[in-house]
Amino acid sequence: MRISVLTSAAAAALAMVALAASARADESQAALGRVIYAKANCVGCHKWHGGGGGGYGGAALSLRKTELDRDQIIMTVTCGRPGAGMPSFLRGVYDDDAKTHPCYGFSQKDLTGDNHVVEAGVFLRPNEISAVADYVLAHIKGHGEPNLADCLAFFGDKSRVCDIYEPKRTHKMPTPSTVN
Amino acid sequence: MTFKKPYLHLLAGAALACLTSGVAYADGGPAVEKPQTVKSADVTTQRLDNADKELADGNWITHHGDLQGHRFSPLDQINKDTVKNLHVAWTMALGGVEGGGIWTHGGLEGTPLADNGYLYVTDGWGSVYKIDTRGGKGTLMWKMDPKTDHDWAGAVACCGVDNRGVALYKDLVISHTLDGRLVATDRDTGQVKWQRQVANPDKGEVVTGAPLIVKNMAITGVAGAEYGIRGWIAATDLDTQKEVWRTYTIPGKGQPGIETWKGNNDAEVAGGGSTWVTGTYEPGSNTIYWGVGNPGPDWDNAFRPGDNLYTDSTLALDADTGKIKWHFQQTPNDPYDYDSVAENVMVNVDGKKLVLHANRNGIGYAMNRTDGKFEWATPFVKQLTWTKGINPQTGKPVEYDPHKDVQTYAIAPHRGQPYTDFCPGNMGGKNWPPTAYNPDLKLWYIPVIESCNRVTIAPEKAIPAKSREFFTGGGPTQPVRITGSLTAIDVTTGKEAGKFETHFPDLGGVLATKDLVFSSQPNGQIYALDAKTLKELWSFNTGSGVNAPPMTFKVDGKEYIAILAGTGGAWDKWFIDSTPELKTMQPGSMLYVFGL
Repeated sequence: MRISVLTSAAAAALAMVALAASARADESQAALGRVIYAKANCVGCHKWHGGGGGGYGGAALSLRKTELDRDQIIMTVTCGRPGAGMPSFLRGVYDDDAKTHPCYGFSQKDLTGDNHVVEAGVFLRPNEISAVADYVLAHIKGHGEPNLADCLAFFGDKSRVCDIYEPKRTHKMPTPSTVN
Repeated sequence: MTFKKPYLHLLAGAALACLTSGVAYADGGPAVEKPQTVKSADVTTQRLDNADKELADGNWITHHGDLQGHRFSPLDQINKDTVKNLHVAWTMALGGVEGGGIWTHGGLEGTPLADNGYLYVTDGWGSVYKIDTRGGKGTLMWKMDPKTDHDWAGAVACCGVDNRGVALYKDLVISHTLDGRLVATDRDTGQVKWQRQVANPDKGEVVTGAPLIVKNMAITGVAGAEYGIRGWIAATDLDTQKEVWRTYTIPGKGQPGIETWKGNNDAEVAGGGSTWVTGTYEPGSNTIYWGVGNPGPDWDNAFRPGDNLYTDSTLALDADTGKIKWHFQQTPNDPYDYDSVAENVMVNVDGKKLVLHANRNGIGYAMNRTDGKFEWATPFVKQLTWTKGINPQTGKPVEYDPHKDVQTYAIAPHRGQPYTDFCPGNMGGKNWPPTAYNPDLKLWYIPVIESCNRVTIAPEKAIPAKSREFFTGGGPTQPVRITGSLTAIDVTTGKEAGKFETHFPDLGGVLATKDLVFSSQPNGQIYALDAKTLKELWSFNTGSGVNAPPMTFKVDGKEYIAILAGTGGAWDKWFIDSTPELKTMQPGSMLYVFGL
C-alpha cells in the first residue's frame, strides 16, 4: 500500500504536534531550524540547499520545489515516508502499544515490506520539527537555484565552500600548525 | 566572588607551591617529561623496497605493511598460545571528531605506521601524530594539524571525514588532507616543510587514502565519483615537489578506451573512476597496481552506455610514466556501485605471479600480474544475486554481452523499475578495509560485508552543470539487516577455506600473523582468530566503533598490536538502518595498543 493522503486520525494528531510548537513561523524559529536541518542530517539527502536528487542517502525530493504546506512538512518529518527513504524523526510514533497512531494510523506491525519506515539517526522534539518546517518555508520552498547568498547564509564565509558560486574568490592553502 | 589581579597572582603562586612540594604523586608525577628524540634511519627507497623484511624487526613502514599488500607480520610473541594474555598496554585519545560539510563528526580509518619505536597515526581531518612508544607507554612527540577546510571538503566527501594514514620518506612524514593537499612534515620536529594542492574540492575531488611512496614519488589517489569527477592517479616528486605524471582513469578524446563511453551525454567528462584506496608496488617489474572505483552516475548505467573503461578495473601502471600496462575490468557498465578500488595483493603460487583483488561485487579475483590475464574468481559472500556466476575463461559475469550498450546482468537497477534489491549491496561485498595474506598457509583473509540493499533510479538528464553536487543517478536504502564475516580463501585452489561469521559487517580490515588473524567489528569488538581454523581465541571491546585496520610492531624487544577506534565513514550516516544496534555508538577517537 502506498500513502498519498493524510488520514483524518493522522491529521488530528499532527495538529496537536503543530500546536505544541509556535503557531507562527518567525525568523528565530527558522534560524533554529537551520541548525537542526544540518544536525539532523536533512543535508545528507536533501542537500544543504534542499534541492534533493540522488546520493548515498537515497533519492530525495526537492524541498525547493515542494508543494507541501507547514503541517504536511511537519507530518512528513514526524512520520517519515513509508516505503521511501525518508525516516521518521519523532521517537515512538509507531509504537504498537501507543494510545494513538498519529502516522497514517500505522503502528510498527504495519511497517513491513513496501511500507517500511526507517527511524532517524537523531530524534527531534516536536518544537524542533516545527522549526525545521519554518526554516524550509522561509528559506527553501519556492526558491530558485541556490546562489552565493544562500550558500553563505548556510555555511558562513570562513570556508571555500561557496566559491563555486563566485569563482573570483581566491584562497591560499591553509597554514598547518604543530604542537610539540 | 572575584579577585583583583594582584590577589590572583598571589593565589596562583600559593597553589603552585602546594602542587610542587610535599605532595606524593602516583605513577610518575604530574608532568610527563617528553623523551628525547631518538635518531631514526632515513626511510630510503631501499628500505621501502624491503619493507617486508623490516616487519621482522618490528617496523611497519608502509601502508599495507609491505609493498605486496600482505599485511602479514612474522612477529610471533603474540601467538595462538599467548594471545589469551593480550591486554591493553596503553591508550591515547586523539582529536579530529569535529564535523564539517555534511558530516556531524570525523572518524578513524588509518593504519598506524611504526619505525624505530615511533608510531605515526592520523585522524580523519588529516592531523598527524608522532607517538613515542618506549617504556610501555605512549608519549605524544608532536601533532601536526593541517587546518583542513572542513566545510569545503566535508561537503563533497561522499563517505565521511576519513584519512587512512601517512607514508614515510627519508626524514619526512608524507600525508594527505581531505581538502586535497599533499603535506611533507619534518619527522623530528613536526614542522611542515612544504605542501602541495593535488586534488581540488571545487571539482568534487577529495583525498582520503594514504600516500604510497614509489622511488622518490608520492602516489596520490582521489575520491569523488559520486560528484561527477574524472578520476586520476598522480605522482609527485618528493624532492622537487613537482608533479611527475597524472594518469586519468577515464580516457580523454582520441585515447584508447574512449570507445567504451557511448551515447550523446558526454558521460566520460564526469565518468567517475576514483582511486581512493592505496595501491601496491612491485620494484622488480617497476609496476604499480591500483584499483579504480565506480563509474558516475553510480546507478543510472543507461546514462553512460558502453563498458566505461577504466572504471571498476584493476590497473597495472608503469611507475616512471604512469602509463597503463594492462587493465582488467570486473564489472563493465556497472549499475551497482561495485568499485574495484580495493588493494591488489601480490602472491606467488605454483610458479604463477598473481595479483588478488576482493571486489565490492562479492567476488575475489586472481589475475596474472604480468599481463592481467584472468586466473580464477570465487565468491566470498553468501548472498550474491547480481550475477549467476563468472565465466571461467574470461572472468566476466556470465550475462555480460559485449554487444550490449547497457548491461542488465541477472538483476540490475534500471530505468522504469521503481526499485531493485540486489546482493551484495552497494557497500559490498567488501569495501576499503584491507585483506591480509598469510604466505605460509597460502590463505587470503577477506573482511566481508554480508549485505543486500535497495536502489531507486533517478535518471540523470545531463552531466552536472555545477560541480560539488551529488551525481549518482539514484540512491540506496537499507531495508534488510547487514551482517558480516571474515572469509579465508586458499589461493592454491581459489576455493573458500573457512568463514567466521559476525553479527556486524567487518568495517576495519585484517592483520595476519604466523598463526593468528586479527580483525574487528563496528560495535567496538577486536578479535583474534586461529589462522587455520578461524576459531576465536581472544577478544576485547573498545567501547567505540572500530573502523580501522589492526597492525603490529615491536619496541623494547616486545611485540604490540595497535588499532584506532572511533567510527566515522559512510556507515553511520548512510547504512546504519541495516545495523540498528549501532545507532547508539558514539563518536570517538582513540588509539589502542595491546601487549602481553
